[in-house]
Amino acid sequence: MAPPPSFTALPTETLEAIFQHLDPRSLVSVSRTSKHIKQITFDSPVIWRHFCRTHFKFWAVHHNISEKFAGPLSDVDWRELFIYRMHIEKRTTQLLNKVLQRQQGRIRYINEIADFGDDAKETLLQEGACPDDAEDVLARRYYANAILERIQRERAIRIWKGISNGADISLEEALGAYDLFTRAGDHVDLDTITSDLDRLARELLQEYQGFTQFSTRRQAEVLAWFLRDKGFQGVPNPSYRALRNSFIGLVLQSPDHESLPLVSVAIYCALARRVGLDARPCGFLFHVYCLIYAPKDHTLNGDYSPTNSTELDSMYIDPFRSTSEVDQGDLERMLQEMGVPNSEHDAFLSDTTTQELVLRTARNIMNSVQTIRQQDAGIYGVHSIWLNEYPDMDNAFYAALWAMLMLGPREEEQSGSLSNISTRRRQYLPYLLEHFQTHFPWDVTLLEQHVIPLFYNQPEGQRLLAFVHSMHNLDSMRKPTNARSTPTTQRVKFHVGQSFKHKRYHYEGVITGWDTSCDAGEEWIQHMGVDRLTNGRNQSFYHVLVCDKSVRYVAEENIAPVSHSTQPGEAMLRLAGRYFKRWDSDAHTFVSNVRDEYPDD
Amino acid sequence: MASSSATEAKNFVMLTTSDNADIKVEREVAERSILIKNLLEDLGGESGEAIPIPNVNEAVMKKVLEWCEQHRKDPPASQDDDSDSRKKSTDIDEWDQKFMQVDQEMLFEIILAANYLDIKALLDVGCKTVANMIKGKSPDEIRKTFNIQNDFTPEEEDQIRRENEWAEDR
Repeated sequence: MAPPPSFTALPTETLEAIFQHLDPRSLVSVSRTSKHIKQITFDSPVIWRHFCRTHFKFWAVHHNISEKFAGPLSDVDWRELFIYRMHIEKRTTQLLNKVLQRQQGRIRYINEIADFGDDAKETLLQEGACPDDAEDVLARRYYANAILERIQRERAIRIWKGISNGADISLEEALGAYDLFTRAGDHVDLDTITSDLDRLARELLQEYQGFTQFSTRRQAEVLAWFLRDKGFQGVPNPSYRALRNSFIGLVLQSPDHESLPLVSVAIYCALARRVGLDARPCGFLFHVYCLIYAPKDHTLNGDYSPTNSTELDSMYIDPFRSTSEVDQGDLERMLQEMGVPNSEHDAFLSDTTTQELVLRTARNIMNSVQTIRQQDAGIYGVHSIWLNEYPDMDNAFYAALWAMLMLGPREEEQSGSLSNISTRRRQYLPYLLEHFQTHFPWDVTLLEQHVIPLFYNQPEGQRLLAFVHSMHNLDSMRKPTNARSTPTTQRVKFHVGQSFKHKRYHYEGVITGWDTSCDAGEEWIQHMGVDRLTNGRNQSFYHVLVCDKSVRYVAEENIAPVSHSTQPGEAMLRLAGRYFKRWDSDAHTFVSNVRDEYPDD
Repeated sequence: MASSSATEAKNFVMLTTSDNADIKVEREVAERSILIKNLLEDLGGESGEAIPIPNVNEAVMKKVLEWCEQHRKDPPASQDDDSDSRKKSTDIDEWDQKFMQVDQEMLFEIILAANYLDIKALLDVGCKTVANMIKGKSPDEIRKTFNIQNDFTPEEEDQIRRENEWAEDR
């Protein structure tokens, strides 16, 4: 009779199967029990690969993780990889805590985390969902999200840079970069877009058996029909310009799939490629159509027709509006009616580049954001319309500016033809810098890596370099302190964290800093008419954060503290984390996270 | 009558365990074991002969068949349960938990038998049960639980602790 079985006598594969059900920490404990067990746990790539698979959802691009998972088990040191990821998690948490602790070095630490790429994403998502009663809940959520956005922006920028360097980048990836750029979150990544499209392609092939045998013309129409049947029906007129309609990932995920023509065409082309149909976007004037090509030596109707010409038989379709073929003659007539000279027709009737579609999307986004701003202007004054928009309109506008800078025509490419009507890149620079300084100062490294090289050897390049340098310097220095130890500082009436309404403009704001007298330059003082205020320039002035995302500089006489019954609005709570730890409703104040600068507030 | 007894015979199989006990069991129940299922298919289902199971004794076989009886209607395990499904590995359904409340020797016997008989779901439950006995314990507690001999020198213990610092508090 064999001896009764014991734990250590179990076959190695059985022990491996048991260990796969452990958490890493328990695995470490068990590995410390005996040499034999240690051997099994250390040498078993199966266990460590399993841990890599189950513990981490997101991986930085450089790992090429799906290739690794698909490849031979022994090609990768899975234990080392797993421990590396655990280390990154720990390090991300440590660095985030430093970011939250004080202002000094904040930009540096944020960028250190951002360098981990998607390896830091899970930790940041967790921190961003910290409990409501966390001691620094607002700050933690704000910065975790800000860093996540920073990581996703970098990925988007790299995609666009790839296009400008001639890399082979799919249309859905190029447009999905806008989703990455503006919508930080769990479900926002290129894999989601890819799998949404893959799923649609599978459904198409299932629902239309023999699709691949159809003639090109029939395939083109079936695909258009299929998409409309799945709810991709463009958009009803009133919401045509809605911001969200420009984001391919959002369109795929949203229940009604409303989209601009450009996105409808992109989805059509992406699906066509998956099912073996040659469809390309056609950049018409004020609209995007789809050009569908028959295979070489075949007609659209599937007949064999050998020819020496390199030109392929082709047709137009407008998946945004209908399922039927669009007649080329109609398109030419439309161009004529719009006054386009015949010699330019070709440019609008042939297929266009991925780069051109990214730029068109940038212009569409800018138009949408401007429409929102115009509708709002003058009616209500300062308030937080940004809260009602998804994706965030400032992020979206910033994305459009970056895309224009990365992909817009360079000066030397200006040839004056109609297809090149876009203005020069440098025109966007001031707007980009303004957005950057107001909302995303930690993008300074992105500026360094991706913008400065564009202006190499030009005056802007030198100025930017100096600017970036001074930002890094400022970041590395301790903030000068403003203690309340002198009679002048004690005269400053309101403290950091005070909620208020502006007496004249009635907007909601919160104080983030103060000066004992107006510290703005003479030009600003003149321009703003500070001396016409009752108490002039020698009263206390406050740096304030306003619910519309702006930061302003306000005289003490215009500050009206809100009553104890007034709670901060949602917009304020979302923004306040940049300067404050949390809202203290008993003390009716935001709890300062800038004590390194204002120790007594 | 003759035809009904023929059907009955067809629905039962006889298993002979390592200690020469014959166990009569419904074919559907026995076929939870892929090994037995394949054997039966190879035999063509015609022979009424007992199937020898030389690696499993009567006590363990009865226990295993008790599990198979309970799970006779379970859908076959899917092949690609590699990713997310295993993450919730502590989840064991209530009946299985009770079923696994046996002494350690029997627990390991069941695991070995499930492995040999190729009953993946039972093997899984067994492995999870053992994993749950390890979780959250210190190395010393684990040694005690499973009667493992510590064969590390103090220097080796020190080294292995350092190698595993990454797993400490995060």
